[in-house]
Amino acid sequence: MTSTLATSQIVEKLPTELAQTQTALNISNLGRSFLTRKGAVLEALSEISLRVRRSEVVAVLGPSGCGKSSLLRILAGLDEDYTGEIDWNLEQIDSSAAQRLRSATVFQSDSTFPWMNVEKNLLIGLSGLRVEAQEASRRAARYLGLVGLSGFRGAFPHELSGGMRQRVAIARALATEPLLLLMDEPLAALDAQTRLVMQQELLGIWSETRSTVIYITHDIGEALALADRIVVMTARPGRIKAIQTVPFGRDRDVVELRREPEFGSLEADLWKLVADEVGQSLDGSGRKEPKE
Amino acid sequence: MSDFALSGSPVSATLSRKVIRARRLRLLQQLTLGIGFPVIVVLLWQAAAVTGLVDRRFFPAPSDTIAATIALLQDPDERARLLLDMLATYRRLVIGFTIGATLGVVTGVGMALSRPIRDSLGPTVSATFPTPKLAIFPLLIVIFGLGDASKVVLIALGVFYMTCLSSLSGVLYASPLHRDVAKAFRIPAWTRWTRIVVPSAMPSIVTGLKLGLGQALILVVSAEFVSAQEGLGHFIWDSWQVLDVPRMFMGLVVVGLTGGAAVLFGEFLERRLIPWAPKS
Repeated sequence: MTSTLATSQIVEKLPTELAQTQTALNISNLGRSFLTRKGAVLEALSEISLRVRRSEVVAVLGPSGCGKSSLLRILAGLDEDYTGEIDWNLEQIDSSAAQRLRSATVFQSDSTFPWMNVEKNLLIGLSGLRVEAQEASRRAARYLGLVGLSGFRGAFPHELSGGMRQRVAIARALATEPLLLLMDEPLAALDAQTRLVMQQELLGIWSETRSTVIYITHDIGEALALADRIVVMTARPGRIKAIQTVPFGRDRDVVELRREPEFGSLEADLWKLVADEVGQSLDGSGRKEPKE
Repeated sequence: MSDFALSGSPVSATLSRKVIRARRLRLLQQLTLGIGFPVIVVLLWQAAAVTGLVDRRFFPAPSDTIAATIALLQDPDERARLLLDMLATYRRLVIGFTIGATLGVVTGVGMALSRPIRDSLGPTVSATFPTPKLAIFPLLIVIFGLGDASKVVLIALGVFYMTCLSSLSGVLYASPLHRDVAKAFRIPAWTRWTRIVVPSAMPSIVTGLKLGLGQALILVVSAEFVSAQEGLGHFIWDSWQVLDVPRMFMGLVVVGLTGGAAVLFGEFLERRLIPWAPKS
């Protein structure tokens, strides 16, 4: 099994390489509480500390109600009522920060605007940035090409399939060249085949764009297929339970990967970690996470 | 989109011919039934009137109405009067609808976007909405006089409530996901309102405009019944007063056609303002 050997050799080098790169963002002691209707305090997130390196892909894995979406909303800038600190390190270093979004989000369900064609859907994502019109259309063309939708610039979302619409949403996020690309279960709404194809495409896109990614998912296989590190969260209040480094190189094949014995054993390990929490969240309050 | 055109293979050509034929057949059936039903009703009416089953003085045979129409249209004076009546009504409709719809959409969107505006106008709008608009027509005459102004204001009021409330709920209940996208991508306020918030509420706004059109038509004819020297409502009422029933029916036909035109205009608005909506 030479291929296995080759992969594990790359694996050896990768963590040290990453360690040398810059910090993209540093989350320290992040917390978020909600007030229930009865006035009780409900802790959704607690003591989240995480350093995300530049160009790293971090998957956040946990049972539903573990505060994954609370974390996402905070990082996306949709929720400002949190405690703790987020240090967007690259913002100070990067001279082109005005042409980049701090974070751009790909949402779980279709978030394209049905009244705009594909290109306008991309361009409106850039309207908050200091980007010249020429640069904007250059970016739109580049990222539409990257997600394989070059021929669909003028098409409207209702003329596209679900997978294609999600590609538009991904291209829209990429076009802002964000310091952090946030993905909230972006493939969860797609069928199994499309999901596998898209996983492979995402790997290709990220290696092209060198994006820093936080990828929220409840799918263990997907987390293993895509991430450099996997953060496992506990049930409410959401804390970091474990951080697992993924020992596969970036040039992985999401299908072939599943043949590796290590994939299976890691999947089982992670499943045990998560299963504990699923049990707890079912025993416990079991309520749905409050949406503000 | 030309990107999705069927390829020119012989199989797809037969298939598409088949589909097109089926579609044509369906359309033909729809048209036949849609036109056939009213034609049958009119024929039955004609038979009932001719056989004396209904009192021909109050329910003139359709042929009587047609004869009266032809006679009226041949008389240049009468023809000019009818035309003036139509013009008067349409003028009130267009001005009243434009004012009411503009104010309604602006107020509704404003209320949805700003809490203070919503808090200050909301209770008043909700409390006055159920009042039948025609009930305050006398008051409007006191304020705006017997002329066109009071009628235009009456129409504008009716249209205002329809468009204001539907715009308000359209924006308030627009997809929260679209709002999240706007915020997460830090889209500037003006762009957000004009390119995301309002388009997102557009289906609801257009529904309000269509309801407003119907409301405007009811109000203009009712107002002209009560107080007017010209207009289609006056034409109908006047005919009834002198017991010229065929002429009255003719007025009804004109009002009916106007309503039909309003529906078509509503559909035009729909296609124009929400081209992405699935075709009904």
